Amino acid sequence: MKTKRRAGAVIYHILVCGFGLVMLYPLFWMFMSSFKETNTIFTTAGSLIPKSFTFENYANGWRGFAGVSFGQFFKNSLFVAVLGTVGTLASSACVAFGFARCEFKGKKILFGAMLASMMLPGQILMVPQYLWYEKLGWVGSFAPLIVPFCFAIQGFFVYLMMNFIEGIPKELDEAAKIDGCSYYGIFGRIILPLMSPALITGGIFSFMWRWDDFMSALLYINDADKYPVSLALKLFCDPGSSSDYGAMFAMATLSVIPIVLIFIFFQKYLVDGIATSGLKG
Amino acid sequence: MKQKNSSFYKFINKEKNVGIIFCLPFIIGFLVFLIVPMGISLYYSFCDYDILSPAEFVGLKNYIYMFTQDETFWRSMKATIYFALVSVPLRLIFALLVAMILVRSSKAAGFYRAAYYLPSIIGGSVAVAILWKRMFAPDGVVNSLLGMIGIDTKFAWLSDTKTAIWTLIILAIWQFGSSMLIFLSALKQIPKELYEAADVDGANKITKFFKVTLPLLTPTIFFNLVMQMINGFLAFTQSLIITQGKPMDTTLFYAVYMYQQSFNFNQSGYASAMAWVMLLIIAAITFLLFKTKKFWVYEQG
Amino acid sequence: MKNKYLKKAAVLAMTGIIAAGSLAACGSDKKDESANAENAKELSMAWWGNQVRNERTQQVLDKYKEETGVTVKGQFFQWDDYWSKMATSAAGKKMPDIIQMDMSYIKQYADKGQLLDLTPYIEDGTLETSEITEDVLNMGKVEDGIYGIASGTSSSCMFYNKTLLDELGITIEDNMSLDDFVAISKEVYEKSGYRANLYHYGLYMDMYARANDIQATDKLGGDSAEDYVPYFQTLEDGIKEGWHISPSQAADTASVEEDPMVYGSSPENMTWCTINGSAQLTAYQAAAPEGTDIDLTTIPTTDPAKSNYVKPSMYFSVSADTKNPEEAVKLLNYLSNSTDAYDILLAERGIPASGKVTEAIMPKLSQEEQENAEFINDVITPNSSPMPPFPVEGSSQAQDLLRKLEEKVKYGEYTAQEAAGEYFTEANKMLAGE
Repeated sequence: MKTKRRAGAVIYHILVCGFGLVMLYPLFWMFMSSFKETNTIFTTAGSLIPKSFTFENYANGWRGFAGVSFGQFFKNSLFVAVLGTVGTLASSACVAFGFARCEFKGKKILFGAMLASMMLPGQILMVPQYLWYEKLGWVGSFAPLIVPFCFAIQGFFVYLMMNFIEGIPKELDEAAKIDGCSYYGIFGRIILPLMSPALITGGIFSFMWRWDDFMSALLYINDADKYPVSLALKLFCDPGSSSDYGAMFAMATLSVIPIVLIFIFFQKYLVDGIATSGLKG
Repeated sequence: MKQKNSSFYKFINKEKNVGIIFCLPFIIGFLVFLIVPMGISLYYSFCDYDILSPAEFVGLKNYIYMFTQDETFWRSMKATIYFALVSVPLRLIFALLVAMILVRSSKAAGFYRAAYYLPSIIGGSVAVAILWKRMFAPDGVVNSLLGMIGIDTKFAWLSDTKTAIWTLIILAIWQFGSSMLIFLSALKQIPKELYEAADVDGANKITKFFKVTLPLLTPTIFFNLVMQMINGFLAFTQSLIITQGKPMDTTLFYAVYMYQQSFNFNQSGYASAMAWVMLLIIAAITFLLFKTKKFWVYEQG
Repeated sequence: MKNKYLKKAAVLAMTGIIAAGSLAACGSDKKDESANAENAKELSMAWWGNQVRNERTQQVLDKYKEETGVTVKGQFFQWDDYWSKMATSAAGKKMPDIIQMDMSYIKQYADKGQLLDLTPYIEDGTLETSEITEDVLNMGKVEDGIYGIASGTSSSCMFYNKTLLDELGITIEDNMSLDDFVAISKEVYEKSGYRANLYHYGLYMDMYARANDIQATDKLGGDSAEDYVPYFQTLEDGIKEGWHISPSQAADTASVEEDPMVYGSSPENMTWCTINGSAQLTAYQAAAPEGTDIDLTTIPTTDPAKSNYVKPSMYFSVSADTKNPEEAVKLLNYLSNSTDAYDILLAERGIPASGKVTEAIMPKLSQEEQENAEFINDVITPNSSPMPPFPVEGSSQAQDLLRKLEEKVKYGEYTAQEAAGEYFTEANKMLAGE
């Protein structure tokens, strides 16, 4: 029995690792390319390991553009992503609770509006949104990249959390209600702690999407010292002249790191089956 | 207890008011940030509008042209539907499978999760575009791998009208991380008692999967299905940065064609009309999906 | 009791979110106003380009600040993004004061009233043009106004792998005829397997139409589709005979680094030539494998004198939204005439419009830039015709159609006859604005 189980474990690890390597190969390629001399990246695309390792790409990339270093771009991205994520999570959790646990007039319409707002291709809203934010005086500031997200405008997160709350047994609410808990109490003391896996998942997504968000940065940010990483990365490649792919790969590699760190840090909290502990109590 | 009697507290504790109060962020957000731009774009869809000069009302002209004369519209629609119908189910199955494998809690699992999630992190950046083009080039990795198993080929995957879209589909499947993560957190949510109860009944792994896991997972599957379906129809970046619709519009996604119309061809009014047609299509499909919900999605209670 | 606090907390959280939102709104509002107040001393300028351009331009702007005290905030984007950004800003009447402009957009922007007519400033001397030739000045002329000053000149050209042709014992003469080109292409293909790339992104049509006096204006030139059959026929033959590259061998791409002339694993998926703007010589040379020398020549055509033309590599224009036209024009003047500025910019935006400036910077140019300058001054200029009229509104769509039709011919989906037929009817519709 024991050897059989161990053999199973070995096969499991070999399969998962092997497949993981296939999944990760393209990323190794990108990582390795960032150490190749920039004019050899395409000509040596077939080989993974650079002939000679160079760190020049990192130096060139980090120098940034027109006197603004990549460090500044990272700072800007971090600012936008953190605030945007906090806003998204807080507002979406509230709204999700409202949708999942309360009956009120117009709920269906509201839910429909939320779904519909996800169905319109975002690119078409670029101009109207710009005109509107311009009226609000937000163009050139970080506000369009942060404030709207504090109002749960991404239906995805609301729906995600709503789905999760619906999976939490209603008996818990009922019990709390009998104990004299109001809706706000149920939300703050019961639902919010129980939905931490959804908050973590949503947090990872939101951070990643805010970090990668390129379109709104392009439209609303004017000054180079406010550029986020997503916008800066595109500046290495210009079809009208020569491009520095080496620096682009180097900075693209760096730009992945914050999200990886966040993922690794938070995914640990996905481990515990939280809903069960609630049921027992 | 005094405050409980005050009319303000009574007011905010009535269930119908509570719901509205909780939904307030979205109500405000929708009214302030969404409805205005959406309304403007709906208006533009009935206009000749080139962004640079004011919009001119032309009635249904854009819609009529779209359905009667624009062949590229139909080609892009076809490519998009094909992409969505193929990539969404494959991506979901894949995500669910991997989530099931990685659900066990161990140090290694945490590491594996990160590894499998990584491809999704780099998203739609320029780096991915170059990567993908190089991998599927005649002398790229894919052909080298095929060479290793004895198929010697110089096939240009991105240039063939049949295979080009598959490179985009594979990219979509490769980036299955977000669905996987959602499945993972849903799997974590399934009460252990249910499995224990099943053990008592002497159920084996397969029965447990079909009797416990799958039913409890259906709400999440439904959620992923709806979201991925919407994303699939609105797919944009992959096509824009990797193939630009080539060859012969077989990978020209609807959203990319719309973007071209708006920003390259100065037909923003027409593009708006396209956007609203897409909204109607997605809304219809979502509506149908919601109608099927009661047949297969497990409802709590 | 606890409930009370929770309720309060919930209400507070809500109002907090709302307050934060409105605060951010106020904050940026105020900032905007203060920016307006100081507008006299602050300008914004936008351009597209790569790292080299960004850096050099910023240096010039810094220098300008030292000299005049006017701060110029630079904004730079990648080509496609740049135009999305400009269009959107134009819609909001928020374009930067100085914008880098392109030949394919200037008419549109000028016609729609987005650009400032520079004529009054030229007349009152704010914008010095004495060093700029009449021809170059007229490149920025739309109807009766001057809407942009060419930052430099450039031309389309054919790049070729000189090292390869030397090995094969083939010499390329400038002003090569189409027949010569086809003969050379066949020879190169037979001897080495390298193919030609002439039908690249629809760029060749310009040359063809000019040589045959059927240059497009607000409609295609020529009386019927027949006029376009030879254009597609050469391509069809080239594909059938094998000397022209097709997408199944190498992708047709706009990026220099991925151009099959410099990138590829074997002669089978590479070309010996390509066509693009002459200023790209630096980029091609940098992207070419070590030991490969890239040279440039005129694009083959049946009548080089008619086909060739000198064009503006790009313009600087002043936006109609500017609150400070006077200051903006002064900066434009600096960018067009100051030897100090060009000491830094060099020929990065084309061979400078001012003759005096060109002379001054010539020795400082890189070898490729000098080659490019000589090519434009000695090869193209003496044997060329005036620039074509600016593209009209449907042009980009017609260009896209042309690219797709070339693609279809390359794949063997269409014969030359079919492609010409569709091009003539459909492109005409697009140019007419239907």
